[in-house]
Amino acid sequence: MASIIVSAKERGIAGCHTCGQAVKMQNYAQIECPRCGAEVHYRKYDSINRAWAFLIAAFIMYIPANTEPMMHTTSLGNTSADTILEGVIYFLSHGDWPLALVIFSASVMLPLLKMIAIAYVLISVQRGSVSRKTEKTNLYKLAEILGKWSMLDIFVVGLMAGLVQLGALTTIAPGPACIAFAAVVILTMFAEMAFDPKLIWDQVDK
Amino acid sequence: MSSIKTIAQSDILFVCHECDALQRVPAVEPGHDAICIRCKSRLFRNPKGGIDKPLALVIAVMIMFIVANIHPIMDLTIVGVKLSTTITGAAYVFWQSGSPELAAIVWLPSVLVPGLIIAGLCYVLFSIRFQLNWPYTKPILVLIDRLLPWGMMDVFLLGILVSMVKLADLADIIIGLGFYTFVIAVVLYAATIASLEPHTLWESLQDQSGKQNEFENG
Ligand SMILES: [Zn+2]
Ligand SMILES: [Zn+2]
Repeated sequence: MASIIVSAKERGIAGCHTCGQAVKMQNYAQIECPRCGAEVHYRKYDSINRAWAFLIAAFIMYIPANTEPMMHTTSLGNTSADTILEGVIYFLSHGDWPLALVIFSASVMLPLLKMIAIAYVLISVQRGSVSRKTEKTNLYKLAEILGKWSMLDIFVVGLMAGLVQLGALTTIAPGPACIAFAAVVILTMFAEMAFDPKLIWDQVDK
Repeated sequence: MSSIKTIAQSDILFVCHECDALQRVPAVEPGHDAICIRCKSRLFRNPKGGIDKPLALVIAVMIMFIVANIHPIMDLTIVGVKLSTTITGAAYVFWQSGSPELAAIVWLPSVLVPGLIIAGLCYVLFSIRFQLNWPYTKPILVLIDRLLPWGMMDVFLLGILVSMVKLADLADIIIGLGFYTFVIAVVLYAATIASLEPHTLWESLQDQSGKQNEFENG
C-alpha cells in the first residue's frame, strides 16, 4: 500500500501553499503559481536552519518572559509587580483554580510544549527518522493551531492597563515580561511557519 | 475528460499540503471532507451551502465587528469614578502611556488583522457570488491567507473574560454592548472560516478570469 504512494516532488510537481494548485515545476526549483501568483517551491527554503534560529531565539525569550514581572499594579501608593506564576498563584489563593489553570496552561505550559514539539520534529528530521510520520505531522499541526492562545496574558495585561489607567487611584502598567512573552509567541509562530512538514515524509528507509 | 474540473464535481490531481503525497481525489459530496491517503490530513472540504453561506456569515460578522468596535466593552466604576472604553480606546491609552509596541501587539491581532480579513472576504465573496469580476481579488485572497494565523479575536475574547474577573476586585463592572457583539462576531467569524474552502474560492476566481486549469493529466 505505502509503496504505491508517490511524493509530488518525485514527479516534478509541487503543491502551491497558498491556493493548493498542483503545479508542474519544469526543472525550476521555484516558479510563480499560474493560479494565484504566489511563489511555488518543492520545499520551504532553508527550512530546518530557519526554524532552529527562530526556535532558539524563542527559547531564550521564554526565560525573561517567566522571571520578569508581567504587570506593575499601583494602588494607593503601593506598587506590586507580578510575574506570570505569581499571577497564577494569586488566582489559586483566591480559590479561582479554573482561571489559574487556564492562565498556567496558556502562558507557561503551551509555549514550552510548542517549542519542545517543534524541536522534537526538527531533530527527528535531521536524524533521518522514518518512524511515526503521521504522529509527527499531527503534533506539528496541533502546535500550529494552539500556539496563538499563549497571547492570552498579554491581552489581559493590555486590557487592564488600558481600562484602569483611566482611573486615578489605581494604575496598571505592563512589565518587561510582556514584550518577552509576545516575542516567544511570535518567534514560535515563525519557527512553525519556517518548518516544512513535508520534510518528515521525505525521510525514507535506506 | 472535460477541460475544467472542480474539486467538488470530479476527480482532480492533488498534492497534500502536509506530506506531499500526489493523489487523485474523487468527487466529494457536500458536507464531506477529502482526506489524504498517506498522512490523513484534510485535503479540502466541500462545505454545505456553497458560497451563499460564507457570504451571509461574513456580512453578519462585518456588522457585529463594527458594532463591537464602536461600543464600550465594559463600564467600570472605581471608587465612584466611571470609566468606559472600547477595545481601540484601551489600546490607545496603552499607546499614550508609553508602551506603543505593546499597544500594537494587542491591537493588531484583535482589531486590525481580523478587520482586514473580514473586509477582504466580503469583497472577494461578493465578487465571486455575483460574478462582478472586481479587481485585485487574487492578491486580496493571497493576503487573507497570509493574515489568517495572526487574527486572534478568540484569544482576545478569553482575555476580556479574564480581565473582567481580575477587575471585579477593583471595580464594579457593567458589561457593555461592545462585549456582547464581540462574542457574536467571534462565533460567526469561526463559522465563516469553517464554511470556506480556499481551493473552491480559487477555482471560482480562475473560472471568472477565463483561464483553464493549467494542469489536467497527471
Ligand atoms: Zn497558487
Ligand atoms: Zn498527506
